[in-house]
Amino acid sequence: MQLQYGLAILLGGGLIATPAPADDELSRALTTIKSVRKEGKGNDDAGPAWKTLVAKGGSALLPTLEAFDDSNPTATNWLRTAVDAIAESETAAGRTLPADKLEGFVTNDKNAPSARRLAYELLVKQVPEAKERLLPGFLNDKSPELRRDAITAELEKLERSDRATIKADLEKLFTLTRDKDQVDLLAKKVAAKGGKVGVTEHFGFINHASIVGPFDAPGGKGYETSYPVDSVTDPSGRFKGKGGKEIAWKPVSTTDKYGLFDLTKLLDKHKDAVAYALAVVSATKDMPCEIRVTSPTSIKIFLNGKAIFGHDEYHHGAPFDAHIGKGQLKKGDNVIALKVCQDDEKEDWAQLWQFQIRICDETGGPLPLEQKIVTDGNTKTIRLGFNPNPTETKEEKQ
Amino acid sequence: MRYILAASLTFAFTLTLPASDWPQFRGPNASGVSPDKELPTEWSKTQGIKWKAELPARGVSCPVVAGGKVYVTCSSGTRDDRLHVLCFDAATGKQLWHRQLQATGGTSCHPKSCMAANTPVADETGVYALFATADVAAFDADGTLRWYRSLVGDYPTITNQVGMASSPILIKDKLIIPMDNAGESFLAAIDTKYGKNVWKVERPRDINWVTPITREVGNTTEVLFAAPGGMTAYDAATGEKRWSFKGGRGVIPTGALDGETIYLPVGGVSKVKLTEKGAVEKPEWAAKQLQTGFSSPLVYRGKVYTASSQGLIACADAKTGKVLYTERAKGAFSASPIAGDGKVYCLDEKGVCTVFKADSDTFDFLAANELGEGTLGTPAIANGVIFIRTDKALYAIGK
Repeated sequence: MQLQYGLAILLGGGLIATPAPADDELSRALTTIKSVRKEGKGNDDAGPAWKTLVAKGGSALLPTLEAFDDSNPTATNWLRTAVDAIAESETAAGRTLPADKLEGFVTNDKNAPSARRLAYELLVKQVPEAKERLLPGFLNDKSPELRRDAITAELEKLERSDRATIKADLEKLFTLTRDKDQVDLLAKKVAAKGGKVGVTEHFGFINHASIVGPFDAPGGKGYETSYPVDSVTDPSGRFKGKGGKEIAWKPVSTTDKYGLFDLTKLLDKHKDAVAYALAVVSATKDMPCEIRVTSPTSIKIFLNGKAIFGHDEYHHGAPFDAHIGKGQLKKGDNVIALKVCQDDEKEDWAQLWQFQIRICDETGGPLPLEQKIVTDGNTKTIRLGFNPNPTETKEEKQ
Repeated sequence: MRYILAASLTFAFTLTLPASDWPQFRGPNASGVSPDKELPTEWSKTQGIKWKAELPARGVSCPVVAGGKVYVTCSSGTRDDRLHVLCFDAATGKQLWHRQLQATGGTSCHPKSCMAANTPVADETGVYALFATADVAAFDADGTLRWYRSLVGDYPTITNQVGMASSPILIKDKLIIPMDNAGESFLAAIDTKYGKNVWKVERPRDINWVTPITREVGNTTEVLFAAPGGMTAYDAATGEKRWSFKGGRGVIPTGALDGETIYLPVGGVSKVKLTEKGAVEKPEWAAKQLQTGFSSPLVYRGKVYTASSQGLIACADAKTGKVLYTERAKGAFSASPIAGDGKVYCLDEKGVCTVFKADSDTFDFLAANELGEGTLGTPAIANGVIFIRTDKALYAIGK
């Protein structure tokens, strides 16, 4: 009896709470599109599903945005073009988009960042004043584009104001920046107001490391060749290097603002060679991280002895943060290692052999990490990237 | 009576004359040549413009025209990761649709280029857009997404941090995708209906910006694809390699085919005879003064033309290779020269289009038309109109 009563309450509650009947056709279309896989698998069904979705018009807009899954970019691009088509046809038919629902979707940071950005653009196209209202809420957003726009707007607002707190306000804004050009801009603005911010620390650059090399990599095969230090977790031991020469780890530091280590200066110029860099960082708890590397040559990233990312390409430029290894830091010490390869190209521009490495969160922002470094035989701990006297890098031109 | 008949035939012919499309990079089979007559000679930002449409962002790809529609690609965003495909009515300039994709591949490139670097290819049914990020999408003419693929998702080592730009081509129901890069390199035929691989052949891991061209040999359609290691011919039906020619090296410009002869941008320009079995090793001639750089050579009415990245226009006799003239233009060229109606059009990077007569052994200048906007894409010619895409807008020039 009690069970029956409880069931009745549950069912009743469920009936009351149930929204409008689900559109099975819409759900099936979304499921079909989200099932697309590599090499066009699922395209046969996804095409008709896309048409079904778009034919639903405005009622399919929010469900389609909600279906975005940034972990499956292929499916997301199918959905993205459907959103474009729906919005376009609604506008052409003289109907407005559901602004309240779009705003609710944009402000819910549990939704996929790419979908939120798209929803934001649709919203401000229809309701331009929403921009000013919403942007301050995106200053610390996971969507890089929303965050960027919010910082741009906030900076303009600060510069228009004559607040006495401008220096502190700019310093606070600096902590929220992620894009390199905005970081540099805010650092200059802060400096102009007599303040000082640590770009190196903000980015989380490793500026103290141990390096070993050069190892021999005949035929430019260093990337695919295994070396005895591939899975090391401490900078110890001696190895047979290029030309049979014995090589060992040595501590190095950089004062470069962007954490640049120039291996041609640290190890001399070498062709068909491989070097490794290693650093130990301490975390106060387990946390996800991104290890981002900038280098003009092939690299492989290791976290606690395990390879988490590799990129095999030589001398086609060194775009900032081009290489991103995603991993999980454990509480306590973590060993970050980087393999940096060099090939045998003879041109002047092919002599670069260098790297920058930083550890950050998924937005590119700083993590609360410390680094163990050895100076004058003593081990000490500093905040990751702490750099009291940074020097500017003359950045490589592509 | 005869006059009436002739007039009727002329009228009927006019009505049924197929529209001249410009469906891919450099038009029909990358020739750069239009059959159209009465093409415009002079224009400016305010005169001679049929219509102008604003573009949402930059692109170095070329406009293409098919079935009365003009298709353009652009890329935008701080990371250049927003990929745009736009469709305009060729007659009025009305924007018919605009679709966007999020880049799934790397977006690094030389500052001069961008992710909208590969020229799309179109037919009556729609458009196929490949981007430098290795994202490729097929849209019906009304903007319906037919299929989409992330080639980096399929083949994750694809990379070229200088930026990719080779353009796809269409052969009947196959979309040919050139994907030479520093990672997994291939030439693939993708079925136009569902976007699945029909064939995929391995290629050397080397960066390359050349667009494939085709030729018919008996019942076989060959895809000719030049790269730093030479030119290779593939059977378009199967992907089977038919022959290769080490002298047919290419990196950026695309050769021009004229019957059984190909004019390759090697050592200036080289004239190479093609037989059923491949290329004749020794070029008939090579003219160093025909410098290309980024742009591809043009063969038109018995002459070969080049427009170089140093701003030099050159012309040679196609039969002998004798250089007839060189002329210093106002600016550097990235766009390839094109021709039609007895005129040659060379659009420079600042939007100045130098027009000169083709049927002359000397430089017979007609006009230098300024749009005042940067542009790197080669113009298109279709239905008597010249379409130029600048960094900001799409212009239809003509009546």
